[in-house]
Amino acid sequence: MIEETELIERLKKKDRTAFKNIVETWQDLVYNTAIGILQNAEDAEDVTQETFMQAFESVSSFKGESKFSTWLYRITVSKAMDHIRKKKRKKRFAFIQSLYGKNDQPVIDPPDFFHPGISMENKENAAVLFKAMEQLPPNQKTAFVFNKVEGLSYIEIGDVMKITESAVDALLHRAKANLKKILKDYYTALNKN
Amino acid sequence: MEDEFLNKKIDEVLQSTDGIKRAAPRPFLFTRLEARMQNERNVWNKLTSFVARPVVAFACICFVLIINAMVILLSNPSGNSLAPQGSELATADEYSQVSYNLYDFENSKP
Repeated sequence: MIEETELIERLKKKDRTAFKNIVETWQDLVYNTAIGILQNAEDAEDVTQETFMQAFESVSSFKGESKFSTWLYRITVSKAMDHIRKKKRKKRFAFIQSLYGKNDQPVIDPPDFFHPGISMENKENAAVLFKAMEQLPPNQKTAFVFNKVEGLSYIEIGDVMKITESAVDALLHRAKANLKKILKDYYTALNKN
Repeated sequence: MEDEFLNKKIDEVLQSTDGIKRAAPRPFLFTRLEARMQNERNVWNKLTSFVARPVVAFACICFVLIINAMVILLSNPSGNSLAPQGSELATADEYSQVSYNLYDFENSKP
């Protein structure tokens, strides 16, 4: 097993084998984060590729002050957010279906994303959760994905997002409160129809 | 009773990611990545993707429109017609400011 620091030094010299090793070591980490935020397999693959391309181009700026995985997480989140912005920009030019029906009743949009790592018995519930996560503000969504999908600790999330542990705690608390409200509205509307 | 059921359901949903496994990309990601990097290194691809950007295309259209507007405005800055107006013709008649052409000079008698 080649040392992480040695791999990075070789990547700075644009070594192809080192790059291949880095991609193979961290591809699941990058892809799982991307799919958690984007909720689409194709988009997640696209962002994974963009993340590694960015890492290859700008590895010289990696000073080793944080872990390499932390640096990769940051690039992934930034690329995923850019991807969401680009998609929204495209949607502005297309026909946008109204979120509300004729009587201002929320239309029940059925969940359509199923995370491949979820167990069979939780599949339906997790799909509803992912749908609700789409409505969270970006920083709450990112923290929630890191905690619940990537399984990072509060300290690790703080390192990636450059915030304190207590700020992570507050962010996740707000995310859960918002999700509870979104889910309550969803199930209430579902029961009415 | 209904609220209790709802709260239980919400808790179940919030805990549904417990024990989640990492999702993995399709096999041969590195091969696809290398192919993409090779493709993006191509100069012509870089140029086309730059020109195809909405901002660049919009800026080009604006530039062409501005150049057109400037050409139109500078070619006739006062907005007046080049043809002599009625008052100018009257003054020219009064002071005999008539421009003779070459034919008139040749046929003039001393």
